[in-house]
Amino acid sequence: MTENEMTSNESTESTSTAEAAASSPDPSGDPLVEQSIDVEGTNETTGTTGKPVIESRDLNVFYGETQALQDVNLAIPEKQVTAMIGPSGCGKSTFLRCINRMNDLIDAARVEGDLYFEGKNVYDDDVDPVALRRRIGMVFQHPNPFPKSIYDNVAYGLQIQNQTENLDEKVETALKRAALWDEVKDQLDKSALDLSGGQQQRLCIARAIAVDPDVILMDEPASALDPIATSKIEDLIEELAEEYTVVIVTHNMQQAARISDKTAVFLTGGELVEFDDTDKIFENPDSQRVEDYITGKFG
Amino acid sequence: MATREPETGWHGEQSDVNHLRGRAFEATCLALTAFGLVSVLLLLLFVAKDAFRPLSADTGWLATYAATVLVPLAALGVYYYRLDEPAGEVAYVTSGLPVVGLLLTGGFAVLFIELLSVLEWFALLISLAVAGGLIVAHGRLRSKAALERLAVMFLAPILTVFGLPPTEFNWFVTDAAAALGLDFGLYYRVISLREAIMLLPFVPTDWAMLLLTLVLPVAGAAGWFVGQRRDSRRDSLAVVGITTVFAVLGVVAGPLLGIGTDIWLLLITFAILPLGVYVEGVVRRGEGVRGLAFPVIAVLGVAVGSVVTGVLGFAGPESWLDWGFLTSATSRTAADAGIYPAMVGSVMMIIVIVLTTFPVGVGAAIYLEEYAPSTGLMGKFVTLIEINIGNLAGVPSVVYGLLGLALFIRILNWPQGSVIVAGLAVGLLILPIVIISAQEAIRSVPDSLRQASYGMGATRWQTIRQVVLPEAIPGILTGTILALGRAIGETAPLLMIGAAASVRLAPNSFFDVASMMPRQIFTWSSELDPAFRHGVLAAGVVTLLAVLLVMNATAIVIRNRYQRTG
Repeated sequence: MTENEMTSNESTESTSTAEAAASSPDPSGDPLVEQSIDVEGTNETTGTTGKPVIESRDLNVFYGETQALQDVNLAIPEKQVTAMIGPSGCGKSTFLRCINRMNDLIDAARVEGDLYFEGKNVYDDDVDPVALRRRIGMVFQHPNPFPKSIYDNVAYGLQIQNQTENLDEKVETALKRAALWDEVKDQLDKSALDLSGGQQQRLCIARAIAVDPDVILMDEPASALDPIATSKIEDLIEELAEEYTVVIVTHNMQQAARISDKTAVFLTGGELVEFDDTDKIFENPDSQRVEDYITGKFG
Repeated sequence: MATREPETGWHGEQSDVNHLRGRAFEATCLALTAFGLVSVLLLLLFVAKDAFRPLSADTGWLATYAATVLVPLAALGVYYYRLDEPAGEVAYVTSGLPVVGLLLTGGFAVLFIELLSVLEWFALLISLAVAGGLIVAHGRLRSKAALERLAVMFLAPILTVFGLPPTEFNWFVTDAAAALGLDFGLYYRVISLREAIMLLPFVPTDWAMLLLTLVLPVAGAAGWFVGQRRDSRRDSLAVVGITTVFAVLGVVAGPLLGIGTDIWLLLITFAILPLGVYVEGVVRRGEGVRGLAFPVIAVLGVAVGSVVTGVLGFAGPESWLDWGFLTSATSRTAADAGIYPAMVGSVMMIIVIVLTTFPVGVGAAIYLEEYAPSTGLMGKFVTLIEINIGNLAGVPSVVYGLLGLALFIRILNWPQGSVIVAGLAVGLLILPIVIISAQEAIRSVPDSLRQASYGMGATRWQTIRQVVLPEAIPGILTGTILALGRAIGETAPLLMIGAAASVRLAPNSFFDVASMMPRQIFTWSSELDPAFRHGVLAAGVVTLLAVLLVMNATAIVIRNRYQRTG
C-alpha cells in the first residue's frame, strides 16, 4: 500500500514538472537544417558530463525501400542516461538496434554511414557483431526471460562467454544490482516464467548486467508494465547510470524527463530533430516541432 | 439516410436474422464427425472380436472376470472421475508405467536374444563411455580449442568403437607408412577398444555386465533426477542403493523363481525402478494416493479370477492373439502361427529409421529455419526446396519403394529385402514429414528468445544449442514419433524392395532378409485357409495397432508435458 501511494505521488509530481517544462514555450523556431547536432558543440555545452562513448555520423538505415533513419548525428555520453523519444515509427528503436548491430538479424535492413563505439566504427569489416554485443547489453520491450530457471537465466551470458569462475557469486551480484535478489533468493531454481512481469523485466536487466557490459540499451523497457513495476525499473535505471552508459527508448515523455540526463527527439521520417540536455529539451527546445511534439500538439 | 421498414424488428418473431443455414451446417458437421468416428470404432471392434474371440469362452469365465476385474475397475474409474481427479491421474500413470516398462523389457530382451550378446553390448557401451570420457577430458584440458574438440568429438567414438579401418582403406596411414619405408601389410589395423574387450580371455558374467552397463546407469540417472527434484543427496543415494540391492537379490533368487537373471535385471531397470520412484513420490506428497488402488485391484482381480475359473473349470476364449502368437514364427497351420520374427524385423527397421532419418531430418529442419537465407536468389532457391519437401511428403509410398529398389538393391547391391534396405526406403518416405514437423517445432520457438540470446552476445550456434533446441525438442520428438507410427505400418515399399513374405527366423543382423509386421499380415491375407484370413490376420492387425497406439500415446504424453511447462 505504502509503495503504491509513494509511486502515485511520485508520478503526479513528475507529471507536473513535465507539464511545467512543456508550458514554457520558446518561439524561436529555427530552420531544421541547423538543428542537426554538432558533436563537439554538444560536449562543450555539457562540460561536466563524460566523454562520448557512442557516436553516429550520417547514419542512414533502410528497410528494403523504406528509409528508417536519415543522416543521424549523435554522441552519447558515458555513464549517463540518454533517452530517445518520438512518435511511433520515427526510427528511435532502429537507432538503438544499430548500436549493437541487432539490425543485422533482419535480412532487409541496410545501414549506411558510421557508428563509432569507443572510437571504432562498429560497421567495419573486422568487427564481429557477437563480440560487440558482449560489450553492449540489451533489454527488450517485452520481458523475454528464457524458459529456464532464474539462476540459469542470469548465468546464461556468463556461460556463453566462458566466464564460469565464481558463477554463484556473479549471479548474486547481478541480481542484487537489479534489485531482485531479495525477492528471488529462495527460489533461484524456479522457472523464470513464474515471476511477475516487472520481476521478469528486472531479471532481464540482471541478465544483461551479469556480464558487465559497457553500455546497456533499453527498448521501451517499461511499456508492458504497470506503474509500480515501472517506477521500480526507473529507480533501477538511475542507479545503473552510475556504472553504465544507459540508452533508453521510450514512448513516455514523463519517463524521459524523470530519468534521463540527455534526450534525443526523433520525428517522423527517421530524422533526429533535436538532441540536448533533458532540461533544455523539455523547458526550452530550439525546434518548434519538438515543442509541438512535447506539448502534445503533434505526434 | 436510409430508413428501415417499420415491420422489420430485432426481437421475437420479427427478428430479421436467419440462423437456419448456420444450424443446418452445424448439424451436418456433427453428423459427419459421428459417422467417421463410429465407423472406425466398429472396424476396430470387429477386428478385435476376430483376434480375441471372446464369445468362444464359457459364459462362466466371462462372468467371473467381469465380476472380479471389469466391475471393480469401472466403479473405481467413475469414482476418480467424479470425486478425486488427482487420484485418477495417479491411477493412469501407475497402470501405464508398468505396460511401457514391460514393453521396453521385451524390446531389450529381443535385442539380447537376436541382435547382440550381452558381451557385445557391454563392449559397445564401455567403448562409448570411454569415448565420452575422452571428449570431456579434452574439454577440461584444452577448453579453448574448439576445432580440436570437434575433431575429438568425431574421432573418439569412431576409434573406440570401430578402430582404424584396414590400411587398404586408410590412404593417409598407408601413404605415411610408405614414405617412412614401413610396410604394415595390407590388412593391418588398430583394433578398437570394443574389439579388444571382446577378445579378453576373462570376462565378467552376463549379469555383472548388465548390472554395470544398464542397471547402474539407469539407477544413477533416476537417483540424480530424484536428488534434483527433492534437493536431497540422501534420497538419490537411496534410489541407487535400493535398486542395486533388488538387482543382486533378483540375481540370487531369480533362478529359483524360474525367471532368467537377464530378464530380471531388465525388469528391475525398466519396470520396477520407474514405478517405485513414482509411487514413492505419490505417497510422500500424499496427493491422489487412492489412485494406487487401481493397479492393485486390477492385479488382484486377475488373480482371483484365474483361481475361480480354475476351480470351477470354466474354459477361457480360444484367442488367436496369445503369448504363443507373440513369441513364435508363422507356420503352415493357423493355430501355431505367430508374428515374432516379423515383429523383430519391424523393430529393427524402426532402429534403422531412427538412426538415419532423425539426424538427417532434424539437421535439415535446423538449417532451413535458422541458417538458410530468406532473401535474394538463394532465398528463392530455399523457398523452392521447401515447397518440394512439401511435395515429397505427398509422393505415394510405392514410389519410395521403387526408389529403394533402384538405389539400394540395384546400385549399392545390398541384399534384397534386408532390414537395412527396408529401413532406408521407409526412412526416405517419412523424411519429408520429419523435416516439416521439426521445422514447425523450431518455428514455434518465440523470436524474442532468439533476440534475447543474440543480444547477450551469443553466437548463432550457442543460440540454437542452448535456447532454440531445448524449446523445440519436445515438438520435434512428437512429430518424429508420429512419423515413425506411419513408418511401421507402411506396406508398399516393403513389397517393392522384396521383404520376405514370411520368415521362420528373426533377423540377426541388419543385412539379414526379414519380414515386417505389415508384410506378414499381407501374406496371411492371401492364405487359402480361412483361419489365417480371419483369425491370424486379425491378431496381427491388433498387434500392429497396439504398437502404434503405444507410440502415439508416448507422443501425446511428451506433448502434454511440454504444454504444461511451456
